Amino acid sequence: MKYILMMTGTKAGTETYKAWSQKDVETHFAFLHALNQELTESGELVVTQPLAGPDEAKIVRAGKDGALVTDGVFPEAKEFLLGYWIVDVESSQRAYEIAARLSAGPGPGGVPTNMPIEVRQIMNARAAEAKGAK
Amino acid sequence: MKYMLLMMGTQSDFDSYAKWPKETLQANFAFMHAFNKELKDSGVFVAAEGLAFPDQAKIVRAGSDGEPITDGIFPESKEFLAGYWIVDVESPEQAYKIAARASLGPRPAGMPGNMPIEVRQVMGGPPEELLR
Repeated sequence: MKYILMMTGTKAGTETYKAWSQKDVETHFAFLHALNQELTESGELVVTQPLAGPDEAKIVRAGKDGALVTDGVFPEAKEFLLGYWIVDVESSQRAYEIAARLSAGPGPGGVPTNMPIEVRQIMNARAAEAKGAK
Repeated sequence: MKYMLLMMGTQSDFDSYAKWPKETLQANFAFMHAFNKELKDSGVFVAAEGLAFPDQAKIVRAGSDGEPITDGIFPESKEFLAGYWIVDVESPEQAYKIAARASLGPRPAGMPGNMPIEVRQVMGGPPEELLR
């Protein structure tokens, strides 16, 4: 079963990362690098991607004529995706364990961030189409 | 440049999708299938995934002992990821054009507006000097 582990944050939340010391940032990336390596070796990591900060995020819609309409204004409370991991695991419990490991990543002074990680199952496209065809 | 196109929705949006008639679901899946094929044929497709509905979403934190603490209660306004595409394109404008196409997926008659698609650049990874 594939699960996506999403690290999210508000724009104000991401601003606080900019105040982290160089050493704290390095420690955090070293932690992520080691965890990614561990999940790669265990065969559970499918993919992980960090996203650019929310400053340049755009919402795009098709206008009435199909032409694109972009908007860059978001509510303050909006949670932006900062990065994600897709893991292929035996159970939801294992996905939660990996999410907890991410949540325990070091923040300023090496104190765990205890950052919330949203965990969602990836849908099997064929199952979804079968469900839709019922 | 890689961009992620995110289709987002609140729990109430998902509740309304669950009530879509069969024809609309089929038209929507056919649209997505053709859209993905077109992206693959044009060489910009990197990945796409659909996520399970948010009723089984969990927020996980590490407890003081490092064990996972799960929570399934979310504010009503929370936006959930429904699915995404990653495309490899020449410019942000090209990513926006593709997002506008994705925005046009069929919906039941009488439903307002086209679906908003959030567009974000995917980073290559942390700077080399931070990887020890």
